Formats: sequence, C-alpha cells, structure tokens
Amino acid sequence: MEDSKTDDGLYPIAILIDELKNEDVALRLNSVRRLSTIALALGEERTRRELIPFISESNDDEDEVLLALAEELGRFIPYVGGPDYGHILLSPLENLCSVEETVVRDKAVQSLGAIACELPAKSISEFLVPLVKRLAGGEWFTSRISCCGLLPVAHRVSRQESEQQEVRGLYRILSQDDTPMVRRAAAQNLSAMAETVEQDVLSQEICPIFIKLTQDDQDSVRLLAVQCCGPLARTLSKSECLSSVVPVVQRFAQDKSWRVRYNVAQQLYMLCAALGADCSRVEIVPPFLKLLRDSEAEVRVAAASKVASVSNLLDAETVIRVVLPCVKVLAADSSQYVRSALAAVVMEMAPALGKAATIEHLLPVFLSLLKDDVPDVRLNIISKLDQVNQVIGIDLLGESLMPAIENLADDNHWRVRLAIIKYIPLLATQLGADVFQQQLGQQCMRWLEDQVFCIREAATQNLQKLAAEFGPEWAKEHLVPQVLAMVNNSHYLYRMTILTAVAALAPAVSHEVLCNSMLPVVISCAKDKVPNIKFTVAKMLERLVPLVDAAVAEHTIKPCLMELADDSDADVQFFAQHALQSCEVVTAA
Amino acid sequence: MSDLDRWIEQLKRCEPLAEKNVKVLCEKALEVLVEESNVQRVDAPVTICGDIHGQFFDLMELFKVGGECPQTNYLFMGDFVDRGFYSVETFLLLLALKVRYPDRITLIRGNHESRQITQVYGFYDECLRKYGSVNVWRYCTDIFDYLSLSALIDNRIFCVHGGLSPAVSTLDQIRTIDRKQEVPHDGAMCDLLWSDPEDIEGWGLSPRGAGYLFGGDICTNFNHTNKIELICRAHQLVTEGYKWMFNDQLVTVWSAPNYCYRCGNVAAILELDEHLNKSFKVFEAAPQDVRGVPAKKAAPDYFL
Repeated sequence: MEDSKTDDGLYPIAILIDELKNEDVALRLNSVRRLSTIALALGEERTRRELIPFISESNDDEDEVLLALAEELGRFIPYVGGPDYGHILLSPLENLCSVEETVVRDKAVQSLGAIACELPAKSISEFLVPLVKRLAGGEWFTSRISCCGLLPVAHRVSRQESEQQEVRGLYRILSQDDTPMVRRAAAQNLSAMAETVEQDVLSQEICPIFIKLTQDDQDSVRLLAVQCCGPLARTLSKSECLSSVVPVVQRFAQDKSWRVRYNVAQQLYMLCAALGADCSRVEIVPPFLKLLRDSEAEVRVAAASKVASVSNLLDAETVIRVVLPCVKVLAADSSQYVRSALAAVVMEMAPALGKAATIEHLLPVFLSLLKDDVPDVRLNIISKLDQVNQVIGIDLLGESLMPAIENLADDNHWRVRLAIIKYIPLLATQLGADVFQQQLGQQCMRWLEDQVFCIREAATQNLQKLAAEFGPEWAKEHLVPQVLAMVNNSHYLYRMTILTAVAALAPAVSHEVLCNSMLPVVISCAKDKVPNIKFTVAKMLERLVPLVDAAVAEHTIKPCLMELADDSDADVQFFAQHALQSCEVVTAA
Repeated sequence: MSDLDRWIEQLKRCEPLAEKNVKVLCEKALEVLVEESNVQRVDAPVTICGDIHGQFFDLMELFKVGGECPQTNYLFMGDFVDRGFYSVETFLLLLALKVRYPDRITLIRGNHESRQITQVYGFYDECLRKYGSVNVWRYCTDIFDYLSLSALIDNRIFCVHGGLSPAVSTLDQIRTIDRKQEVPHDGAMCDLLWSDPEDIEGWGLSPRGAGYLFGGDICTNFNHTNKIELICRAHQLVTEGYKWMFNDQLVTVWSAPNYCYRCGNVAAILELDEHLNKSFKVFEAAPQDVRGVPAKKAAPDYFL
C-alpha cells in the first residue's frame, strides 16, 4: 500500500487507507464509509488480495466502525470482481457474526443474506453452507444466534436437496439450543423459514419445531413463537391449521405471561381469515372474548384494536350476540388507552352489522366515546365518522350526532376542533344547504375568529369547500356578507384571516360579487396601519388577478399594488412587487 | 425562489443545512444583528415567546397556534438551544427567518446562547454529532455574541431573557454595554440574562450562581424610572405557561411544552395586538405522530 503514495492522483486514497488504521475513531469511520472508493482505486485484484484480508483481521474495532464495515461489505460484490468472487467477502462478515454487539451482528447477517442471493451455485455449496455449519457449531452463542438469521436465506439459495436437508437439520438443533437467546433467534426466524420450505416439509418438520418452541419454559421464547401463528396459519392447510396452530393459540390465550397474551391478541384475526367464519366462531371467538376481558390493560388494548377486523370476518349474528356486549364494556374501560384503541376501530364494525344493528348497538357506543374525557378518544371517533354515515344515513346522524358535533366544535383541544372542521364539507354534502345553514352556518363563521391560527386557516378552507358545494348564489347570500362584516376586527391577525377567507371564496363566487363586494374591501385594507395586513393584501390581490377582467386588474388592482410597492416597510414592498410581476405575466398572456 | 427561502423550507422540514450554507447564513445574520441596539425597538403588534430549548416540533406547534412568520410578528426572548434534540434546526430556522424578515422577527439573547453553557447542555454535542465537526457550533456561537440583549415594545413593554441587574437602573445604561462578547460571569450583561424575580425586598443572591434575585420594589422602581408598564421575561419554567408577578408589573412567558420531554408542563405565548391588548395562547407538546423521530417509544412497546 505504501507505493500508492508515489502517484499524486492516488494520494487521497493513500490517506484513506492510512486512516483505516488511524487512532481517531471518527477518521476510521470516515474511511470505512468510503471503502468502495478505496476498492475502486486499488482495483479488483488488489482489493481481493490485500484489502479484504486486511479488513478480515480488523474486527477488534469500535462497534460503530464494525457496524459501518458490516454494511459496506454487503454492497461490495462489484468491487471484488462480481458474484464469482463474492465468496471472498464471506470471511470478514463471518467474523462480524460473532461479535458481542447485536446491531453489528444483525447488519452482518443482513449483508451475508444479500451476498448469498448473488452467489453462484458452486460457491453456495463450497463456501456458504460450510460457513453456516461453522456458525451453528460456534462455541459462543453469538455466532449461533447469527446462524439462525442466516438459515432461511441459506435454505432458499441452496440448490441441492441434501444441502437443504442439512440446513433444516441445523435449524432443528438450534431451536433446541441450551441458550434461551439462541432459541429466541430460532423462534424469530420461524416465519421466514416456513416461507422457504415446501408444504409437506412445513407440516412434517417446521410444525413440530413450532409446537416445541411454543412450549418453551422461557416466556420470551414463547412470546416470539406466538408471532408465527398468523403467518403459519396462512401457509398451512385448514385441517393442519386446526390440528397444530389452533390448540396452541387457545393455550396461549390463557398463558400465565401477559406479554404472550398480548401477542396472541394481535395474531387472532389472521387465524380467523385462514379458518373462515364457521370455524372461527367455534375455535377462535372464545379465546378472543377472553382477551377482550383480560385483566391486563395492555392485552385489552391489543384485543380491542382488532375487534373490527375480527368482527368483519364473522357473521353479523355472532358479532351481535357475543362480541358487542364486550365492546359495550370496553367503551367504559378504566384505561384511556383501551378506549382510545376501541375508538379507532369501532366505526369499522358498522358495515358488518348493517343499519339496524348499528343504530341499536353501536350508536350508543359512538356517542359515549365522543363525550370521553380524553381528547385522543374523541379524535379517533371523529376521524372515522364518514364510515358510520354510510351505514346509518343522514337523518339519524342529524338527530343523534349533531348535538355531539356542536359540542366538539368548541372543544378545548384544538386538534379536536380541527378534526371536526375537516369533517364539515362531508357533512354539508349529506345535510344539504338548508339544514346545514340552519345547524352549522354560524359555527363556520365563529371558527374564523378562533384563538388558534391553524383553526382559522382551516376555517377559511372550509368556506371555500362549502361555496364550491352549494354554489355561487348560496355563497353570495350566506357567506360573503358575513365574512366581509368581520373585516374591521381590532386585532390584526383576525383581519388577516378575513382577507385569506375572501381570497379563498373568490374562485367560487360570481365575477360581479367578486368585483363589486369583495375587491373593494380588500383594496381598502391596503390603507391598514399594520404592515402585515398590507402585505397580506398584496398577496391576496396576486391571487385575485387571474379571476378578474383585464380592465379591473389594470385599473383597480395594479394602482393599489403600485402604491404598496412604495411603502416604507421592506416586506410590504417585496410582496407588492412580487404581485406586480405576476400581474404583468397574467395581463400579457 | 432565493437560497434563503429554500433554506427556510428545508429547515421547516427539520433538515439541518449543509455546513457551508450555515456559514453563509451566519455571515448574513451578522450584518443584520450588528445594526440592532442592545435595547431593540419593536413595534406592536407582536407575539412574545419564551424559551424553546431545541424542541423543534414544539416550535412548529407554536407556529400552528400563533401563526407563521412573517404573517405574525414574533419576539423570541432567548434560550433557543440546548436540552432538546433539535437545537441546530431550531436556531438556524429562527436565524434564517431573522435574515429573511428582519422587521417581522426579533431574537434576543438568553443565558444558553453562550459558548460555555452550550458545551455542557447539549448544543455542542449535537453539532458534533450532526456535522462531525465543531465548525457549525463555532459559527453559531459567534453569532450569539451579536444577539441583542433586550427589546422595548412601543416604549411600554420591556423584554429581557432573565431580569434586572443592580448595575442597571435605566435603559440607557443597557444601551451603553458592549455586548459583542461571550456572556461574562458577572456584571450588567450577565445579570440581564441570568436574574430571576422573587417575592423578596430588594436584591438577593441567586441560587443559579449567576445573576441576582430581585423583588417587587426593584421592579416597581425600574418600571417607574423608565416609564414602562411591564417587564416580560422568560428563563424559568412555569407549569401553566405564563405567570404574573408583582401586581402585574412583570410576567414570565415559557414556550417549551413538556420541557425536556418529561416535565409535563404546558407552554404559552403572549399575543399583543396593535393596541397592546394582551392575550396568552397556551399550547401543549406536539403529539407523537407529528414528530419526525419518536422521542420515546409508544406506550405498549416498552416491555417487548
């Protein structure tokens, strides 16, 4: 490596190489990050002969450097001469697979997986499979953990049946390892393993391993095994699923560790999907109901968040008879997280129940959650209101939900108010102009004077949508006069909101209203004494120019902007000039 | 779109600027700040904000409640950096806004805008972590020396980060300080950035080791001498976001909700309209889902 210094062009590279050995960890890290540059400069041959062996020796470094190294090597095949030489990279990564630090090992396994996918068949048998065997036989548990992560890839890329058998043999051995950490890694990779094997191997070899892991005496192993229930159920046939997965799930639902129960709660709906409604009713619903009533709040959160997806896989009658009573109890749960989880999904039960049952059973639940003390719960309900509209229809919505909505429109929490405003246009469509105006018209105006800026902003956008929905004549009567009347507010931020609202309404009103009622108001604000209002006028006029006749732009808007462009305030000048420029573009076109 | 407008957009997404752009930004900021007085004149309407402490997403929350700059005028009373995860983005955004809209936003110096303090409370480490060198820290701390020490709104409301100093009885005395230096360990400049009001008579020793405690009589005298009606300051966590003292002659405004991501306090800003009518806007920390990186893991995950 010394001789590369003689060439001036290679000098930076020589520095990088030197820095690989530097005492300062930041410099070594920097150098490792640019390993591919070094390799390019050295050429493929010298990279294989010098760089990679050098790197293989240097796994005594800081974890940070090793992590970077593990990541870089995963992308290194092009620099050593392509897939035929890819096996060169296995050795340094193998070393990294046995270090103490988990993130380094995980990255090394990930990189090995990426390289394995590119290796030719010959290298797989000659190098990869022996590597996997060495890791599996490693004395220290870290290499055996890494091996578990590598086995699914090794199985997938192996071409020969005998090799695949060997790989599965290793997996079986590791799944019974003495060290719980290794068994945990085996459980973690069970789903990946299941995906790479044939159907008959799955039921004959993988299922027994699964069953065994689910009976592990460590709850951390069972915890990970339970996560395979869903994926396994999807791949196994229904009868195998019934015989091997379902009993496990039923047992897990009563596991003494609540973490296991928490995990099984998240898996149940996947089983329902695999088993179908009839089978699920008998086998899955009883444990599910048990989890909905679990003594641990976290478990109830997990179960509650799946209540709609499970219900939608069942028949309406079962849902009404057994699930709904639990839902009613959960709506009054003592934990806000349970109520919040329920609120986020309970709306989605409406389609499965149908109109009558929704009105009878779900509506009271919605209404009680809408009045919940915790803003998150209310928010979760509001953001799904459209789903219940579709089922119960607008008449009933008007009667039952409107009082709640009027209440929430003045909610203390501004995000709740925001959620309600966003829901207003949809509500408007369904209520029709008259009912809407009567029930919510004034509220829409009040939001323009909200304490919080982004509510005022949302209120202006809301007006624009309402005008588009109900048409120019309606807007002329119900929006324009009310908005213009507020322009004399004594607080500059509220005057600014009104200017924004005027510009938002402009595209939706007739030319006559725009030029005769709205434009004069905007122009008059150019005389405001607060600079912020003046430059807002300039910005809003810029938006109005494309909407008015050339004559109006020329004789009304432009003189106003010219005057603002001479203002003493720099920002007023800037925005007025900007508006004038786009004026030119529009009138020229 | 100018570079500056682009940088502001970038910083609003919480993406730090490249080191070379920070250098350019700081050079431009110096030109603006060097012109400002130690008692910077500010016209109402303006919205007054207290400590931010690198809580970038809570600053975004502040703008959602108070309005965006330049539409709303702002006065930030220091302590932009340290403690939070995003001191770099927070300070650079405020500085970029200052350069782009010098008449719409005023920044004054807090006790954390100092080389010594930032090396202990996070800003130095954050710069080193995000840029791999301390250059950005150096550019920023050099700019700190140029930040004004206080502001005077319509000659009636005096704004300062900490409080009063026994060495200062008139605003003119503040105007004569040579502020272009690291915050000293004592003296008028130090006290303005470090002192706290306290229910005592006269002056007291500060438990902070810098600045003084000052009582209501000191405040009354100062306000009377300088013909002002209110001192507005930050510097101390108040759980309700703002706190009146001394018969409404002084108010503390605190703008870092859930301070250090754990104190559970609400924050406030003080909106002054063009007639100096006051209205406090109280706000909470940004919810988890609008933060870029979760500050802590969501509740049900912590045990897995």
